[in-house]
Amino acid sequence: MQIKERPIPNAVILDLNGDLTYAHRDVFKAAVETLRQKGCRHVILNMADVRFVDSSGLGLLALVSQNFKLNQGKVSMLRPQSYVREILGLANIPKLIPVFDNEQDAVNGKAQAA
Amino acid sequence: MNSDTLSKPALSSAVATVLLVDDEPVSRLSMAARLKRMGLRVLEAGNGKEGLAILRRERPDLTILDWVMPEMDGPTVCEQVRQDPDILSSQLILMTSHDQPEQIAEGLARGADDFLSKAASKQEVLARVQSGLRAASLVRSIESTRDELRAKQGELEGELKSAADYIQSLLPVAGEITRDIRMSWSYRPSQALGGDLFNVSHWDDQSVYFYILDASGHGVAPALRAASLSTFLRADNLRHYMNSSDPARMMTEANRQYPLTEDGSYFTLWIGSFDRRTRQLRYTTAGHGGALLQRQNGTVEWLTHTQLPLGFEADTTYEITTVLIADGDRVLLMSDGIYEAPAPTGELWGTTRLETTFMAHRSAPLGEALPALMAEAERWHGAPVFPDDAALLGLEFRL
Repeated sequence: MQIKERPIPNAVILDLNGDLTYAHRDVFKAAVETLRQKGCRHVILNMADVRFVDSSGLGLLALVSQNFKLNQGKVSMLRPQSYVREILGLANIPKLIPVFDNEQDAVNGKAQAA
Repeated sequence: MNSDTLSKPALSSAVATVLLVDDEPVSRLSMAARLKRMGLRVLEAGNGKEGLAILRRERPDLTILDWVMPEMDGPTVCEQVRQDPDILSSQLILMTSHDQPEQIAEGLARGADDFLSKAASKQEVLARVQSGLRAASLVRSIESTRDELRAKQGELEGELKSAADYIQSLLPVAGEITRDIRMSWSYRPSQALGGDLFNVSHWDDQSVYFYILDASGHGVAPALRAASLSTFLRADNLRHYMNSSDPARMMTEANRQYPLTEDGSYFTLWIGSFDRRTRQLRYTTAGHGGALLQRQNGTVEWLTHTQLPLGFEADTTYEITTVLIADGDRVLLMSDGIYEAPAPTGELWGTTRLETTFMAHRSAPLGEALPALMAEAERWHGAPVFPDDAALLGLEFRL
């Protein structure tokens, strides 16, 4: 999995590319944890290029969301592909991590698209 | 170079043994004397056959073989050594007076490690013997590490096997649960220890509850966690927390006891409770999508709704859904490892194909239908082991 960090006003976007699975847990955790330790309060996971999320990936999303909440921070998601959206939906992840269709809505935290 | 360094090669603390195989007594005696002056223990043989027998028995550090010999020549000894797993890593030097490049190539091709001319100088003999002994010492050290690793692996496999037997012992015995419920299951862990567990238990005379759990990840840690949750879900334990077989209460308590771990591990869990008087099945799920009800006429209803897995949120409220069970209905609980079995192209087997296959075996007994489902997923996947644990638990109601 490749992860690109892209700061925007009031948030940092992580452009994820690949599968969010057990095999890639360390790189994902490290990328998000680095942001949290730098004091980032809002991370937006751009899921547009994520093809698959397995059960470990769901656990990581829940963990990241919990950890950010502990620091009064938040996590949002952008544009998951339809199959990934379905997997996230079955586990009710959008209840923990709101899903948006564009960056501006994600920054503003409104017009939830999930 | 002074003669001391020539006569005392840098060998390991134990005296190295060289086997010298040569049918010409004069040349053998002269070479043996040279080797002994180097501080080596020397074994001698007068032909290839005898040499091979000594090599097998004594396992020398290095063997020097004449090319031309009666009974068995040097290259043939090399070939025999390379075909014998017990001695194939022996270090072999072929020796001849005809050191043409073609002959050297043939000797190496037939299994020699090095080549020595009978006309070689004292220094060259020493250098080649030292080089052969260094290689022998490296090979021995690799072999001893390999043997240690094998022994440790054997111990670990033994431990894993006994842990797997314990996990297996937590699974229910297939057959008649009550006079009106028959149960069957099929389970294929992706590794020695599986992280899926399921069970059917009596709460009291009138109600039976059953569940399937799926620990995220694979291997020892998820299997241990699964065993722990399965023990937690035993009726004698649950009675400490509640006085009815209410799946939502069980789920709430499990959610409290099993938070997300520090590395993001968690469970999905489906629990159903069937009351024989009312014929109601009440169920709830924590992120577990693998449960369906197949009516006697074959129609299928998925017994699931969107809900967070266990441990994702401390104060999750679990909804109960109630369905009425009729005579001949079948409930199938499964882990996602079965319907997410990928074809070699990557395409997943999927719930639609699972439903179709289950439908095709509607008239077969559960004990045959479940293995048939597993076999069909295997055919799709193209191999007997799936990437994730695959579990099926089936119940058939005769009301």
